[in-house]
Amino acid sequence: MFDTRFAINSFPKILSVAPETIILSIIATIIGLILAIFIVIVRERKIRVLEPIAAVYVSFIRGTPIIVQLYVVYYGLPQLLVALRNMGLNTTTNGLPVMLIAILAYSFNASANISESIRSAYHSVNYQQYEAAVTVGMKPTRAMTRIVIPQLITNLIPNFSNLFLDLIKDTAIVYNIGIVEIMAKANILSSLGFKYVETYLDALIIYIIICWIFAKLFQLLEVFSRKRVSHTQEFI
Amino acid sequence: MLLELRDIEKTFKDNQVLKGIDLTVEQGEVVAIIGPSGSGKTTLLRNINFLETANSGSMTFRDQNIDMARPSKEQILWTRRHMAMVFQNYNLFKNKTALENISEGLVFGQNMAKKEADSLAEIALDQVGLLDKKDFYPSQLSGGQQQRIGIARATVLNPDIILFDEPTSALDPELVGTVLRDMKQLAEQGQTMIVVTHQMSFARDVADRVMFFADGEILEQGDADEIFDHPKNDRTKQFLSAIAEDY
Ligand SMILES: Nc1ncnc2c1ncn2[C@@H]1O[C@H](COP(=O)(O)OP(=O)(O)O)[C@@H](O)[C@H]1O
Ligand SMILES: [Mg+2]
Repeated sequence: MFDTRFAINSFPKILSVAPETIILSIIATIIGLILAIFIVIVRERKIRVLEPIAAVYVSFIRGTPIIVQLYVVYYGLPQLLVALRNMGLNTTTNGLPVMLIAILAYSFNASANISESIRSAYHSVNYQQYEAAVTVGMKPTRAMTRIVIPQLITNLIPNFSNLFLDLIKDTAIVYNIGIVEIMAKANILSSLGFKYVETYLDALIIYIIICWIFAKLFQLLEVFSRKRVSHTQEFI
Repeated sequence: MLLELRDIEKTFKDNQVLKGIDLTVEQGEVVAIIGPSGSGKTTLLRNINFLETANSGSMTFRDQNIDMARPSKEQILWTRRHMAMVFQNYNLFKNKTALENISEGLVFGQNMAKKEADSLAEIALDQVGLLDKKDFYPSQLSGGQQQRIGIARATVLNPDIILFDEPTSALDPELVGTVLRDMKQLAEQGQTMIVVTHQMSFARDVADRVMFFADGEILEQGDADEIFDHPKNDRTKQFLSAIAEDY
C-alpha cells in the first residue's frame, strides 16, 4: 500500500538537501562555461598544439558516461595528488571533500557540452554581420563584442538551458561518492522505512519543480534577449 | 584623384577572379560597374576594403599607398574608417535598432560621444524618411526600408567613398525606386561612389563613368553614352542586348 503519510513526512527532509543538487549544478555550470569559452577560442582560432588537444578532450568527455568520469576523478584525483607530492610538490592528499570532487567532474563534463553549444551558436551568426561591423570602422574585437557575441548569446540560450537541466538530472548519481543530495536522501529514507515508491515519488516531484523553475527562468531570459534581436515579429 | 587601384589580382584556390584591375576614381565621381554575374565585381569591392586580401596589387587612397597583398592592421582600419559599404542583402545589425544601426559606427568606429552620434543618426534616418522607424529592429522592416537604413548607416560616417554592391538586387521591384532615389540624391550632393549595379537606367542617369566588367577584367569603360550607345567591345554589346531583352 502507498503510505501517504510517509511520503508527506519525507518530502521536507528530501527538499532540505535540494540546495546540494542546485549548488553543485550551478557551480559546475559556471566553471564549465568558463572552461568552455577557452575551449571555443582555442578551437575556433585554431591555436596550434592546443586545438587537437581540446578536440580530443571534448570528444572524450562526450563519448563516455558521466558516472565513469565521476569515478575517474573520485579515484584518480587523490592518486594524482600523491604522485605530485612524491615529485616534491606540497599537496594535501587526505580528505578531499567529495563535493569538490563532484564539482570538478561535473565542470569538466559541462565544459565539453557547453563548448559544443557555443560553437554551434557562433556558427549560426551570419558571418556578414561581422563584415558589416568592420566596414563601419569597428576593430575586429569590437565587432565581436558589439555585434557577433550578443547574437551568439541569443542563439545559445535554449541549448544552454537544456544542458543545465540535463546537468541537474545527471547529478542524481553523486550519492555514489557519498554526497547527500536529493537522490541520496531518498535512498536513505527508503532504506530506513523500507518504503520506496513514496520517497522516490517525492524526489521526482522535487526534480520536476526545480527543473520547471529553471526552465522558466531561461525562457524569460530568452524572451528578453530575443526582443533585442527580434525574430519574433516579422513586418509591422 | 581620390582612389587608384593598380594591377589587383585575386585568386581563390586555382580560380583567378581578378586579373589585374586598374581603376581610378576622382573626388566626387560616381563610377558604375556593370557586367555579368560571377565576373568578380563583388570580389573587387571586397578587396578595396579588405574583406578579402588580394594576391597582388597596390592602392593609393587619399595620401596613403597600400600594398594590397600585405596591408597592415592600421592601414586596414584607416581605410575602413574612410570608406563605407552598402551590401546587396543590407546586412543590418540584427541585434540593433534602426537608429543604433546608424549610430554604432560613429560611436564604436569613430569614437564619437553617444549623444552626438544619436542626433546625427536621427538626421540621417530622417533624410531617408524613416525617422518614425528608429526603434524598430531589422526583422520588423521591409527590404527597402532596411536598405535605406543601410545607406544611412554608410553616409552618416561621412566617408570619402561609398562602395555599393548591387544595392537593389534583393529588393521587390516596387521598392527599387526609393533606394535609387536616395542614391541619386547622394550623388548630387557630391558623394564619391562606386556602384555595382544591374540598374542600367541608374548607371545611365547618375554615373559619371561606366565600366563593363567580365571575367575578372575591365573590358571597356567610358561615360554612359559611350558604353550604352556606342559600345566597342563585343562582350559589352552582347551583355547589353541580353539585358535589353529583359525589359
Ligand atoms: N570566398 C570565395 N571563395 C571562393 N570563390 C569565390 C569566393 N568569392 C567569390 N568567389 C568566386 O569568384 C567569382 C566571382 O564572384 P563575385 O565577385 O561574387 O562575382 P560578381 O559579384 O561579379 O557576381 C565567382 O566564380 C565566385 O564563385
Ligand atoms: Mg556580386
